[in-house]
Amino acid sequence: MATRPTDIPMAPTQAVRTSRWFVLQYKMAPYLFVSPFLILFAIFGAYPIVKSLILAFYATNGPKSAVFVGVQNFIFLFSDRDFHKAVWNTAVFAFWSVFLQLPLSLGLALLLNSRWVRGREILRLAFFSPNLLGQVFVGVLFSVLFIPQYGLVNRFLHFIAGVPLDTKWLANPNLVMPALVLTSLWMYVGFNMIYFLAALQAVDKDLYEAATVDGANAWHQFWAVTLPGIKPVAVFVLVMSTIGSFQLFELPWIMLNNSAGPDQAGLTIVMYLYQTGFVTGDLGYASTVGWTLALGVLMISLFQMRVTGAWKGGD
Amino acid sequence: MKTFHRIVRFLVNLFLLAFAALTLTPMVWLLAATLKSPDDLFSYTFFAPRLSTYNFRDLFSTVPFHRYMINSIFVASTMVIVQLFFSSLAGFALAKYDFKGKKPIMILMLSTMMLPSQVLMAPLYELIYRMGLVDSYAGLVVPGAVSVFGIFLFRQSILQVPDELLHAARIDGCSEFRIYWDIVMPVSRPMIGAFCLISFMGTWNSFLWPQIILHKTERFTLPIALNQLVGLYQQQYGTLMAGTLLSVLPVIILFMLLQKEFIAGLTAGAVKG
Amino acid sequence: MYHASGVVTMRFPYGPAALSMLVLSILSAVWLAFNPIPPKKATLVMWTFAKTHYDAYKQAIPSFEAKHPGVKVDLQLVSWQAVTSRLQAAFLSDLDVPDLVEVEISAAGSFFRGPLKDVGFRDLTDRIKQSGLYDRMVQARFAPYTSRGRIFGLPHDVHPVMIAYRRDIFDQLGIDVRKIQTWDDFIAVGRKVTIPGKRYMLELPDSESSRFEPLLYQRGGGLFDPQGNCIMDNEIAVQTMLFYVPLVAGPNRIASDLGGGQIFTRAVEDGYFLCMITPDWRSKIIEVDVPKMRGKMALMPLPAVYPGGRRTSTWGGTMIGITKHCKYPDLAWELALHLYLNKDDLAQRFRDTNILPPAKDAWDHPAYDEPRPYWSNQPLGRLYAQLAPDVPFQYTSPFIGTAKGKLSEALVACVQYYKQNGDKGFEEFVRRRLKQSADEVRRLMRRNPY
Repeated sequence: MATRPTDIPMAPTQAVRTSRWFVLQYKMAPYLFVSPFLILFAIFGAYPIVKSLILAFYATNGPKSAVFVGVQNFIFLFSDRDFHKAVWNTAVFAFWSVFLQLPLSLGLALLLNSRWVRGREILRLAFFSPNLLGQVFVGVLFSVLFIPQYGLVNRFLHFIAGVPLDTKWLANPNLVMPALVLTSLWMYVGFNMIYFLAALQAVDKDLYEAATVDGANAWHQFWAVTLPGIKPVAVFVLVMSTIGSFQLFELPWIMLNNSAGPDQAGLTIVMYLYQTGFVTGDLGYASTVGWTLALGVLMISLFQMRVTGAWKGGD
Repeated sequence: MKTFHRIVRFLVNLFLLAFAALTLTPMVWLLAATLKSPDDLFSYTFFAPRLSTYNFRDLFSTVPFHRYMINSIFVASTMVIVQLFFSSLAGFALAKYDFKGKKPIMILMLSTMMLPSQVLMAPLYELIYRMGLVDSYAGLVVPGAVSVFGIFLFRQSILQVPDELLHAARIDGCSEFRIYWDIVMPVSRPMIGAFCLISFMGTWNSFLWPQIILHKTERFTLPIALNQLVGLYQQQYGTLMAGTLLSVLPVIILFMLLQKEFIAGLTAGAVKG
Repeated sequence: MYHASGVVTMRFPYGPAALSMLVLSILSAVWLAFNPIPPKKATLVMWTFAKTHYDAYKQAIPSFEAKHPGVKVDLQLVSWQAVTSRLQAAFLSDLDVPDLVEVEISAAGSFFRGPLKDVGFRDLTDRIKQSGLYDRMVQARFAPYTSRGRIFGLPHDVHPVMIAYRRDIFDQLGIDVRKIQTWDDFIAVGRKVTIPGKRYMLELPDSESSRFEPLLYQRGGGLFDPQGNCIMDNEIAVQTMLFYVPLVAGPNRIASDLGGGQIFTRAVEDGYFLCMITPDWRSKIIEVDVPKMRGKMALMPLPAVYPGGRRTSTWGGTMIGITKHCKYPDLAWELALHLYLNKDDLAQRFRDTNILPPAKDAWDHPAYDEPRPYWSNQPLGRLYAQLAPDVPFQYTSPFIGTAKGKLSEALVACVQYYKQNGDKGFEEFVRRRLKQSADEVRRLMRRNPY
């Protein structure tokens, strides 16, 4: 009892087992295989998404008491100075993460990719290793490194540039952001470098040869061959870095000892969300903040992709 | 020209070496700090002439640190297995089959990656509470059991598997699952290795969700345990550093073993688009 | 790995990496199964956040259990940030709510947020009044734990504030402590002895308001009034800011700060600051953290704002609350009384922690008159006890956390302004800035549907 053998992609041959069960399991297989994702998504993805959208219109004191406030949450958000501060801090951080980190990563990758380098593997490991520690442990480590007077950072800066030893980093509202940016640089430059390095190594060598034949020097080659060649990866890294920056929470939270720091200099959007929802207990307002963040991130990512000329097809 | 190249080569290598040393300095400091007694901690920049195991002894006598480590090991390794199974299965489906709903599902997956997860934590917590899974390992593992990032990784990698292998297997009467199990997975071992590390790292270092879910200190994983340690013993820097070192060591070791696969896997998604 | 387990690796489709994960998972699961969390069959579960309290209570609990056979008390140490979030989480999820909790003064208000009936702590007002505790204790100390007229916590302490100073350096410089009666006297001396970069008269931070608040309370100000209105921009607050900022910034500053822990130790040893604002709990910290200064330190009352004015303030505090989840509230109440008011324990606890209990009759004990070698043989207990009845009121609100944060922000802004512009337009700026912060708090309060 067979259906047509050609329904199932098999090697063309003579006798074929095409029992009903065999065909059935072939047809069902993909659905079965994605079903865990779908089920788990329905429960732990779709439901919370819908619920949090609803919550955004309530003010709560925990799940026990919720008061419907309509769009009040959003109106309040608009003029909430703490939220503005969080947005500003997060934006500043994202800005530096992109415009300082990415060029550094690219530069490192270029250097590492050049034919003059010895011990590429080891160097790659060295640069990447900070990323392995995770934000929490890096936060604990760097909160100690930034201690005034005795911490490594001040000792080092004093040694090479005479910076005063008692400079306060995490207790000084003006230096909190630089400290955060520096720390995240340490963590992520190597990480993004890996992407750039792989992209550089994937660029077709023939293109370079052709360019040399055409008389282009190294500088021209960079702009004409290298950059376009790594563009998809660069866009990917750009978008991922931005999204990641906007979700910054653990690093400042740990470094500033579970707080927003002096003058709330380390307050990020997700931190504000956490404080509002899980410290104050207003899960409704926290959801409002969360959705505003989600929308913001989405718009920025779309903008970035539009501007750099790459668009996501149904990949 | 040759001398010019030699100079450039020297400079490039020098710079890279210096920069690498700079990058590694905090970690060297960490190691050194764990081996210094509290009096020596800030008296010497790096290593002290006399090594001391005081910090480790203090760490283990103050809190049941070994318990936190085992908690982390359990949660992370279990998460890897679970995610590995579900993600590779789904990735396989998306790579080697055409079926109705494939496009919408992929778009759905992509959009979930864009959404900041923190938005969902409040209602997710309430849901977990209703399911009675608060303060349990299940509450940690189940919501994250499928990794969308993993699905895409596996899809990318499985696309490379030649279709002929599957066709031949089907001729032999292999069920689809057996094809997955006996053919596709063994061939994908490099990507699996990469995924193991990525997934392990992600779970090992995760802070926010365990912080929200876990109540009893005995169930704490390393990140929240260390955070609590900072809160309680702020000034005992040596002990804190000892805890930090022990917390980062497993991932570093794992990375050393799976370096190549990891880098190949991580970049596969990006480079090929 | 590939060679040794070659056979196994071949069979396991996912490869060696995944296999080791599986092995790890199974091994750790087995360990966890064999080392389950011992079920704590405690009659009463109590959380505290301070190690000193934890150690002290651990000693006091056995006598309580002896008086109540069959009762077990499980005391847990939780970091103070965690108390708030974990307690909130526990209240919200009805899981693992302790029976008694010690809550820090700045966090207490956050539990009063919702409707009165939803407050997770039991209303203790009647118990306190009926047992006479209300009169026995320094009444100002109930205020921070009171919401809408109901008292939810028993105060642990009074925390009167004095100034700790390097007596040896004062002697060296010929400063007569008895002549320092008011802040003006203090500042005058400070200007003479301060050497910028090397020696400062007083330790005061310029980036957060932890020392600002005691000075605000000393003047009778505060963040909230008894009705819960935000008063952090009233005249007293403005005056306090005008007083404080020039101390930490500008050409005539006499104060600085570095941080805590080992840095603080070195700073005190080096004579970097001569004076520190010292509530009773801090005196013990100084004793422990700066042992080398034994015999060289002494305490003096806070300089008054005007002659004859209040010579102390308050900083910090803890309450103990009984949660509504507690199944044995009477027993819990007895435990709280035992821990807080057992005279025998209290005297020894005072020796161990320097913390003055809030019950006035407890101060009769000779322990409070003992001379302390560290403090140049001063009777530390008596000094603090004399100031204790004068401790100012501190009123709370569910928004106390926010208000404190905003106050710090205002302080930073005022310091910045003063650094750049000095006295020009400073008073106006302070008024505006404080009003801005207060208005933000008020906006938040108006939004609160409760």
